[in-house]
Amino acid sequence: MAQTFSADSHDTAALSQRIEKRWALLMVSIIGLLVAVMIFTGLHWAMMPPSRVETIDPSTLHLSGEFVESNLGSAVEADGSVTVRVIGQQYSFTPQCLVVPAKTPIRFRVTSADVIHGMLITGTNINSMVEPGYISTFKTEFKQAGDHLMPCHEYCGAGHEAMWANVKVVDKDAFSKMAVNTRRLTCDL
Amino acid sequence: MISNKRLVLAHFWLAFAVFGLAILLGEWQMFIRSPLHGWLHNPDLYYRSVTAHGTVMGYVFPTLIAMGFGYAITELSLGQALIGRRWAWAGYVMIIVGSVAAVVPVALGLDSVLYTFYPPMIGNAFYYIGVVLVVLGSWIWVALMGINLQAWKRAHPGVAVPLPMFANVAAAYLWGWTAVGAALELLFQILPVALGFSNTINAGLARVLFSWTLHAIVYFWLMPAYIAFYTIVPRAIGGRLYSDTMARISFALFLVFSMPIGIHHLFADPQVGSGFKFIHSVFTAMVTVPTLLTVFTIGASVEIAARLRGGKGVFGWLKALPWDNPQMLALAFSFVMLGFGGAGGLINMSYQLDSTIHNTQWITGHFHLIFGGAVVIMYFAIAYDLWPHLTGRAMRDLGMIRMQLWLWFVGMIVTTFPWHYVGILGMPRRMAYYDYSAPGTSGEAISVIMSTMGGALLVVSAVLFLVILYRNHSASRVEPAPFTFSRAIHEPSSLPLALNGLGLWVGLMIALTITNYAYPIVQLMGLPDARVPAVFVGAK
Amino acid sequence: MNADRPRLISLRNPWFTASAGALSLLFVFSAWVGFVWLPSAQDDALFKGLLNAICSAAGAPRAWLGEASPPVPPKAPVSSVVLTPGMLEGASAGGSIGRGATLALRCTMCHGARGVSAANTPNLAGQYAPSIYKELRDFQSGARTSAIMVPMLAGLGDQDLRDLSAYYAALPRDSAPEMYPAPDIVATGSPMRNIAPCESCHGAMATKLGAPWLALQPREYLKSQLEAFAGGSRHNDISAQMRNIARNMTPDEINAAASYYTQNR
Repeated sequence: MAQTFSADSHDTAALSQRIEKRWALLMVSIIGLLVAVMIFTGLHWAMMPPSRVETIDPSTLHLSGEFVESNLGSAVEADGSVTVRVIGQQYSFTPQCLVVPAKTPIRFRVTSADVIHGMLITGTNINSMVEPGYISTFKTEFKQAGDHLMPCHEYCGAGHEAMWANVKVVDKDAFSKMAVNTRRLTCDL
Repeated sequence: MISNKRLVLAHFWLAFAVFGLAILLGEWQMFIRSPLHGWLHNPDLYYRSVTAHGTVMGYVFPTLIAMGFGYAITELSLGQALIGRRWAWAGYVMIIVGSVAAVVPVALGLDSVLYTFYPPMIGNAFYYIGVVLVVLGSWIWVALMGINLQAWKRAHPGVAVPLPMFANVAAAYLWGWTAVGAALELLFQILPVALGFSNTINAGLARVLFSWTLHAIVYFWLMPAYIAFYTIVPRAIGGRLYSDTMARISFALFLVFSMPIGIHHLFADPQVGSGFKFIHSVFTAMVTVPTLLTVFTIGASVEIAARLRGGKGVFGWLKALPWDNPQMLALAFSFVMLGFGGAGGLINMSYQLDSTIHNTQWITGHFHLIFGGAVVIMYFAIAYDLWPHLTGRAMRDLGMIRMQLWLWFVGMIVTTFPWHYVGILGMPRRMAYYDYSAPGTSGEAISVIMSTMGGALLVVSAVLFLVILYRNHSASRVEPAPFTFSRAIHEPSSLPLALNGLGLWVGLMIALTITNYAYPIVQLMGLPDARVPAVFVGAK
Repeated sequence: MNADRPRLISLRNPWFTASAGALSLLFVFSAWVGFVWLPSAQDDALFKGLLNAICSAAGAPRAWLGEASPPVPPKAPVSSVVLTPGMLEGASAGGSIGRGATLALRCTMCHGARGVSAANTPNLAGQYAPSIYKELRDFQSGARTSAIMVPMLAGLGDQDLRDLSAYYAALPRDSAPEMYPAPDIVATGSPMRNIAPCESCHGAMATKLGAPWLALQPREYLKSQLEAFAGGSRHNDISAQMRNIARNMTPDEINAAASYYTQNR
């Protein structure tokens, strides 16, 4: 059968090139479609990975500014949204237990006091690196009440395996009641 | 004909020996953090093991394979003895010295920083120096590949560069340039701190520099496998390469698109702006193009083999393929794993979907499936194909070889599919142990046990592989037929300048590195605020 | 220019023009989407307007907090020590051990003549200098309370505290017997309760800057401090690092950890 290839060498070469070109075009179109989907979700749901660059000195977080211990946790803002401030450190998040309202715009401000950490909240698409020297700012909204785990997902030293926090999403009303008594909310023990 | 058989064998054997040791560490890690074992009383042992496993499997093993295979390709495809044999041995020795220097402090617990370094954690300097030596040793190979090609071109003006050498040098240049990122991080950021000249480091900048290396290194790992797809498998199964030009274009595209995409590893990072993340996301989408072209070209080449063997029908020709041929089997397994792994990769590269799986066990599953599965199974195939030419002895254990490939394929699927699944559940990677009794994590236990079982199959397969290679050294002597690479249906008589050398593609690779990386790097370098205190690890 | 010899980088080479042209277009398109189009969907003030959007998308550092309620100040003093690897280095570092020895005379009553205590007070011999320094500073600032330590430190300056720390760090540790195997709470902690292994900060496995060496400390001292962290009456651990752990420990676990580090003394 080998002779079939040499018979009309020029024609088969041209033919195979045409087929290849068609395949390549098809593949590039598929890639184009994928990129179009990314652009669509980026516009329609305003989805963007945590990318608001801001620097901070990790060794002085506890002295002043928004990451002092008494200012961590959930804060209700004037417009009704909630700002959640969290520190990652070897080997815990502070607060250890976050409490947030459902169906409310939430803005996270997270930074590290020592090494690189990461955080994800199970059952959601909240996922961010937590790096010393930088503040991670991102926005989200929890659809319904429920409990979630929040592990550190980046190796941060010998105690990394124990760095798990909890997130409690509560009804808006329940949250408002809790917010009456205190300016910064957590569900730490 | 290979004239430097000892050089090639030395590289392959060292590569497979360290691979054999590192796979044991990998399986140990899977076992001790599974529900089959209680919580490890010294979690640092786990992190030492991860550091060693990653360093060996990520840096030492594939680099040695690429080097050994590269030396063999140079002599086999160019038909000339390797220029710079002494330098090649010097590079080999540097890799040995570097590996020992790196692994000893890791074993002592002085460098549990993982192979991704993670400053501001800083360990003992010898680990980093060892890694630098491994890279320097491999750069000797990069230079030798370029020198050998140039010498051949001077002696053969106007003749088409053989495809295997074209691809091999593409791999070398890709590695030469992509290693620069990690080298900059090690030399200018980490080592000054590890050696005591500084106490602070910009961790965000370090991550950007590492991402320069971290993704393109994957394509460097992949190159030997793709070279085998194009230049060994079609010949071994009695077919022809469908298109020589398409093969060259694929390798050229790898060179261009592997580099400017590393920031997709940093989608969740706070130190890189969204604009650059999106650009890297688009370019990552483009790097699938050469793989998709390869799937077509190799699929067509395989069909040619089937039809030459009398295969008929739209799909009927599949039956006519030589399924008992290890090369055929390895290729099929590789493609299946590449397909699944690639599909997962499309999720990782997506600017938005990444957030559901970033840094979970999904990622571990993904790169084990692609690298450990699709790529390493082709390393096996390369070894099986080359070995008789290196030892001058017959490779007769075909049954064992098939068994070994099957075990690797099944083992890898069983290992990585559950990993993907628990990743979606939100199981973070790289933890020394998990509490499987907690309400939020108990569903993961069974999947983790399955992975561990799959890992055991991989260990058995690896042992079998080493036994097969070892037995060959005492098999009966044969005079193997001269080694040949696949022939294309239309062998190129003359090529456009762009496809007969790598100048254009290397130029584009560097240009895109500048457009996609220069601003983030320069900008972060100019942020003195972002220098943070080092955190020294290791027992005192 | 020699027209006969084809050149790679030339507008006449279709490979060059096609590849460089296509890549340029791809870059310009993705840059426009990434820097202009996608930011327009974000509602942050810092993404509004072309220049703003481009700067933000490029990753120029900015203040993203915007409108927010003012920080809540701490109710009780917290530690004001800044822990960095070079915190005790400086021009005055040399020769301070001798001064420290003199200053330490006032400490011998409780902490022993050579830093090894006979009472329920911490052993200081061989303790890490940054850990001693941090606690002394916290006593001075009121972040940590003690009816004995606070008056003892009155009148001592920063250099005195550095010298004391250097002196005690230089003393030989009490010769330790072979430690018996660590109980689970020390060796593995309890991940889901966020209790890291004690050893990952305080021990042979890893040492965290500012965390003390715990071996052979008096049992009652360790127990009372863990309980104080758990109850919140001790709160000079920066950003609640130790309170996070202690408040999740059961009384039995506190006992087990304290007993292990004392080796039943």
